[in-house]
Amino acid sequence: MQATATSAPLVHLGLEPGPFHERLVAHNRQRAWMNWMGYASPSVLDTVEFEYFAIRNQSTLFDISPMCKYAITGPDAESVVNRLVTRDIRKLKPGRVAYCIWCDEDGQVVDDGTVFRYSATEFRLCCQEPQLSWLEDIAWGFDVEIRDVTREIAGLALQGPTSCALLKDLGLAGIETLKPFGIAGYTIAGAEVSISRTGFTGDLGYELWMEPADALAVWDALTAAGKLRGLRVIGYEALEMARIEAGFLLPKVDFLSAQTVLRADRASTPYELGLDWLVALDKPHFNGRRALLELSKKPPRRKLVAIEIERDKPAHNALVYHRKTREVGMVTSALWSPTCKRNIAYAWLDAPYGQTVAGDLWVEIYLQKEIRWQRRMARCQPVDKPFFVHPRRSATPPADY
Amino acid sequence: MSPRYDAILIGAGHNGLVAAATLARKGRKVLVLEARDHPGGMLGDPAFRVAPLPYALRPEIAKALQLDQTMLYKAKPLDVLSFGADGPPLRVAGGLATGVDIATAEAYAALYARLGRQAKALGAMLLETPPSLGKANLSEMAGFARMALKMRLLGKTEMRDLLRIILSNAWDLLNDEIGDGPLAGLLALDATLGGAMGPRSPGTVLTLLYRMASHSPHGHGLRLMPQGSPDALVTALADCVKAAGGEIRTGAPVERILVEGDRAAGVRLASGEEITAPLVLSNASPKTTLITLLGVAHLDGEFVRRCRSMASKGMVSRLDFDVAEPPAVRCGGALLSGQRLVVAPSMQAIETAFNAAKYRNLPDRPALEAVYDGATRRLSVSAQFTPYDLAGGWTDEAKAKLSASVLAVLEEALPGIASTVTGSRVMSPADIEAGYGAAGGHWHHGELRVDQLLMLRPFDGAARYRMPVAGLYLCGAGAHPGGDISGAAGFNAARAALRDGGH
Repeated sequence: MQATATSAPLVHLGLEPGPFHERLVAHNRQRAWMNWMGYASPSVLDTVEFEYFAIRNQSTLFDISPMCKYAITGPDAESVVNRLVTRDIRKLKPGRVAYCIWCDEDGQVVDDGTVFRYSATEFRLCCQEPQLSWLEDIAWGFDVEIRDVTREIAGLALQGPTSCALLKDLGLAGIETLKPFGIAGYTIAGAEVSISRTGFTGDLGYELWMEPADALAVWDALTAAGKLRGLRVIGYEALEMARIEAGFLLPKVDFLSAQTVLRADRASTPYELGLDWLVALDKPHFNGRRALLELSKKPPRRKLVAIEIERDKPAHNALVYHRKTREVGMVTSALWSPTCKRNIAYAWLDAPYGQTVAGDLWVEIYLQKEIRWQRRMARCQPVDKPFFVHPRRSATPPADY
Repeated sequence: MSPRYDAILIGAGHNGLVAAATLARKGRKVLVLEARDHPGGMLGDPAFRVAPLPYALRPEIAKALQLDQTMLYKAKPLDVLSFGADGPPLRVAGGLATGVDIATAEAYAALYARLGRQAKALGAMLLETPPSLGKANLSEMAGFARMALKMRLLGKTEMRDLLRIILSNAWDLLNDEIGDGPLAGLLALDATLGGAMGPRSPGTVLTLLYRMASHSPHGHGLRLMPQGSPDALVTALADCVKAAGGEIRTGAPVERILVEGDRAAGVRLASGEEITAPLVLSNASPKTTLITLLGVAHLDGEFVRRCRSMASKGMVSRLDFDVAEPPAVRCGGALLSGQRLVVAPSMQAIETAFNAAKYRNLPDRPALEAVYDGATRRLSVSAQFTPYDLAGGWTDEAKAKLSASVLAVLEEALPGIASTVTGSRVMSPADIEAGYGAAGGHWHHGELRVDQLLMLRPFDGAARYRMPVAGLYLCGAGAHPGGDISGAAGFNAARAALRDGGH
């Protein structure tokens, strides 16, 4: 009756080549690499504009192998996952995926990620930050095995309007019937590939999971089929633009994990992050439930809100003011959205701003014009997320672009 | 359907009985469930007691429960015999030591008095619920304020001295004040008995002060046998519960604490019987209560981690020797019934015994405390530094080896005793764990260490008796202020439950 967990060594000396590295090198004209969990991951391969527009108009490949992945299996796997996350995982059927957050005992968010359910007793958790020791704590006393499978599974995000058609071209029968957050098994280039209709772009798209040994063969098959579908390999920067439009939050940018903050008030609750819908207080005890119950009774002390800003200059790192004088918050992510044609951002606003007081808010934007800095106060307005909504994201079957 | 109770007490140890009596006297209908055949927990079993030589129940509690103070405190303790390497034993009565040179005796008397005053100042916190960390309110801080005031009233010199020594070790303090020898050995054994600490371990002055804080009309820091053996205390407490309308059921082990809607709802017995009550107080150790009886599914992961990480490795084995005749004391005289003897010839000897236990081995010469009961012709020995997690496990061979080494040490203090032994029994920390709901077989359910005291006892987040599942309270030695026979944990827990109200 004891949870067992094994960890994979994460970072060796220097950056490690991932399973798709050979192909990424060939595409990476910019030679712009970044460190993602020890892997060399491209930030931009060619130009960020081409890569971004490919997400919204064609289809794109992004290597997501560095994502932390944990296999949670055993008789108590459901209880353990349900104890971990704030959603009621008992409602998640096999072959489905759920976006989840998990909290510490004070109801502060530790991380977010996706839970894949393969069967009654088999789950996989995908997330940004290593969680093994956290999972060990949560699983202690339960009959469950937790394995770090980060290095055992290669992942590719295939995202964009033509992604479904591309997979159909590869002969994946019935891929068009896969609903959002569904999982199905297929064969590509002779390799077994598990495909989930998930992604970080808010668009039509899939994530493909395979053995690292099969990675290059699958890549080659996809790129061959992608020639007529405008397939483009992309880096992190283009994805970052799409994820802001899509309304997704990024740990370390929009919020900090309760596990990493030094100042206790820098952590955030689900209510502050606007993720109330992910918290099922009526399910049996889960980590942080008692604290969340108390937190749910009062308005959050501050809130992460989506804002729209006048004019076209993105409000990177800007402070937010009420009546141009009183400082009430700050911007975490900002973007001039090329698709929405809107100047958008996420901002932390202290209560009551962004909650009951929404008018007369301003962001202070600094612009550099040929060395000279200019300061601009731009009016902003809280709006609903996501900024980018398109019916093709959830249409089943998707239209043939 | 069983009758409804206002409160269920898991375990009829003395803390459980004190808590039950406190609640019952406030009109609550209480049921005490005891797994063993006797109430009294570690005091209870007349055939083989874990704690044959108790400290005094706190007089404040005896008064609140209107116990018979004559029975509790009348008997003046006999001189303690502390054996050195050779020669007659020292005789120690409170602050009066005979058998040492006059300078040492004077230094000892001054030290005993000083530690007593300092312990009394600290004692102001013993009957208080510790303040919450971070968000303590004024009334919670009042106990601290009282303690601070009492410390200040010691005078500037003595307060500074207390702050200087409080986190240090018994070795340094006693070497400074009285030098090493059987007298220092006696105090150092008081500082370490029951814990996984040697005299050189930091924090052993604090544990000594803890012991010095026990008090009675005969002085402080004394073992005090109630008139008529520990049974008299257990009977008095049980009678107090019953007189107030409470029930005590023995032979009724609890298997599970029942939870409904995130509230304690009662218990299920090993027999399968379920008994409901909105309030459950557990006298079992924190690990037993939370992990075994409640179940980790009701608790947050971090809370469970802190509970698991609690230091609670028991170090004391109990041995009983039946003897054909009263043991003779080295260099003359017989051991009197009820007399405490200590074989800890020096602090170095205790530290050496501890060294073996650190590495999970039995010491060649364990440090001993013993008491002789004339009525049953039995010598009850507590052997210190016999680790719970003994390398190779607590096999019959290990117990025989321990028994032989204890007898060899005793033979030096009580010459000829080995030849009069007609029977013996050994109770290891593993046996104490199995028999008394004390994880690790630890006397105090958890080390009395600076990082496990006050608002950190038994561990961070669990210090105010009330557990995360509403209606569940810890009332045993694992809770503040900790172990020995004082009744304070049970008394405080019951008052915390009453204060939280709704019960």
